[in-house]
Amino acid sequence: MTPGAAEGPVAVITGAASGIGASCAGLMRRSGWRTAGIDLNPSDTDLPAQADVSDRAAAAGAIDQVAERFGRVDLLVTAAGYYEEGIDVADITVAQWDRMLAVILGGTVNCCAAVLPHMLSRGEGSIVAISSELALAGSATDLHYVAAKGAVLGLVKSLAMEVAETAIRVNAVAPGPTDTPLLAADSLWRKPDYLATLPLGRLVAPEEIAHAVYYLATEGSMYCGEVLSPNAGAVI
Amino acid sequence: MPEQPGGSDAPRQVALVTGAAQGLGHATALRLAADGFAVAVNDITDDGRLTELAGRTGGIAVPADISDPAAGPAMAEAAGRQLGPVQVLVANAAAMAMSPFLEAKPDEWWHQIDVNLSGHFRVIQAVIPGMRAQGHGRIIIISSGWGVIGHPNATAYAASKAGLIALTKGLGRELGPQGILTNAIAPSFIDTEQLRVDADDAGITLDEMRQRYREQIPVRQLASPADIAAAVAFLAAPGSGAVIGQVLQPNGGVTRTRA
Repeated sequence: MTPGAAEGPVAVITGAASGIGASCAGLMRRSGWRTAGIDLNPSDTDLPAQADVSDRAAAAGAIDQVAERFGRVDLLVTAAGYYEEGIDVADITVAQWDRMLAVILGGTVNCCAAVLPHMLSRGEGSIVAISSELALAGSATDLHYVAAKGAVLGLVKSLAMEVAETAIRVNAVAPGPTDTPLLAADSLWRKPDYLATLPLGRLVAPEEIAHAVYYLATEGSMYCGEVLSPNAGAVI
Repeated sequence: MPEQPGGSDAPRQVALVTGAAQGLGHATALRLAADGFAVAVNDITDDGRLTELAGRTGGIAVPADISDPAAGPAMAEAAGRQLGPVQVLVANAAAMAMSPFLEAKPDEWWHQIDVNLSGHFRVIQAVIPGMRAQGHGRIIIISSGWGVIGHPNATAYAASKAGLIALTKGLGRELGPQGILTNAIAPSFIDTEQLRVDADDAGITLDEMRQRYREQIPVRQLASPADIAAAVAFLAAPGSGAVIGQVLQPNGGVTRTRA
């Protein structure tokens, strides 16, 4: 573990053990923030909590623990999720659908609900939900994932309006296909034929998503329900 | 952020900001300079403010009317010769006139289109060869919330700003493969000198004007020029290399409520 800051703003990052979440945690930490990770696996953060965000009580317990330890929560980044592709819509099972919705949408709702009282008590804070470019444009063979990520956008826009008159900001980052462990080695999104359709011709780097999250968290007070999409040109 | 356009040994990257004499263009020029750019600054004339600003941005003053077809090439040439090729263009200069649609004079309509849309078309054309030669560039277009959702009595302005959004998307697709990233920003109410003009027009005080605008903004807060400059700085930063053809809307939710 790398040492973190002794004081400074506090970020809670779900899915912090890998991929986009880990990139966000790393950037916040290098920028002087104290970080807490919520993930099924241990994360390289100042307070690594192992919890399943789809479990409301577990998510709330983890976030309350962060608030108790650090005395404040300035930022929530909801990056916890997983991906399944290559499934025809008719073949998505009820269990697959329910689990996807529970983790991506439920996890976001659970963590927002847990963190908001802490932010409301201080009158400020920032929530950045990680959605997906697929939720903007639609996709085939991953309908349950896309539906869940789309629902996150509805949640973000509505919650942003609900707390608009406070100094709490709620926004989304909708990454394009990003080079993380979520994309299997044989993923459609890694194939040269697909990449050639992108104006930038490459996958997005997780650090580029972290950069967008950092910007919204530090200089984004005028964004309200924004969907910022670093996507290499996948959706323009 | 410890992200600068170049290390201490690297030559400073060059930005060109149009409409920089005041307001968000002025704040943007100063922000980019703080982030390490040498900034060439343009406005329609130089009453001393541009030269003063250029002194603070390590750049040059390039006063010109961007609706003049000679302006873009002249600015690109002057910046290229004195500072280096323009790597970041902030297309910000704008003209606005309010009037009911049926009362709008054709020359009012065309003046706003000529400056806001065609003017930037020409400036962009002028900086592309230099960006192409370097294999990278950032074109940051200041559109408007009114270009997203429209506004009564501002049809020409809204049309010109909506045109800039389409220009952003087209250029994003066309120039992206060459490493040139085009994005837009759609602000709404900003706390600039224009508010004083608006207040005088409405026959109310500046504070009353601010309050009238705040009531139209979900976050009940006017954007500062620095907020918009920060959006420009984000789009100009190395870490934003996957953002292309997007329209950032740091307008406090104005465009979320009425779109």
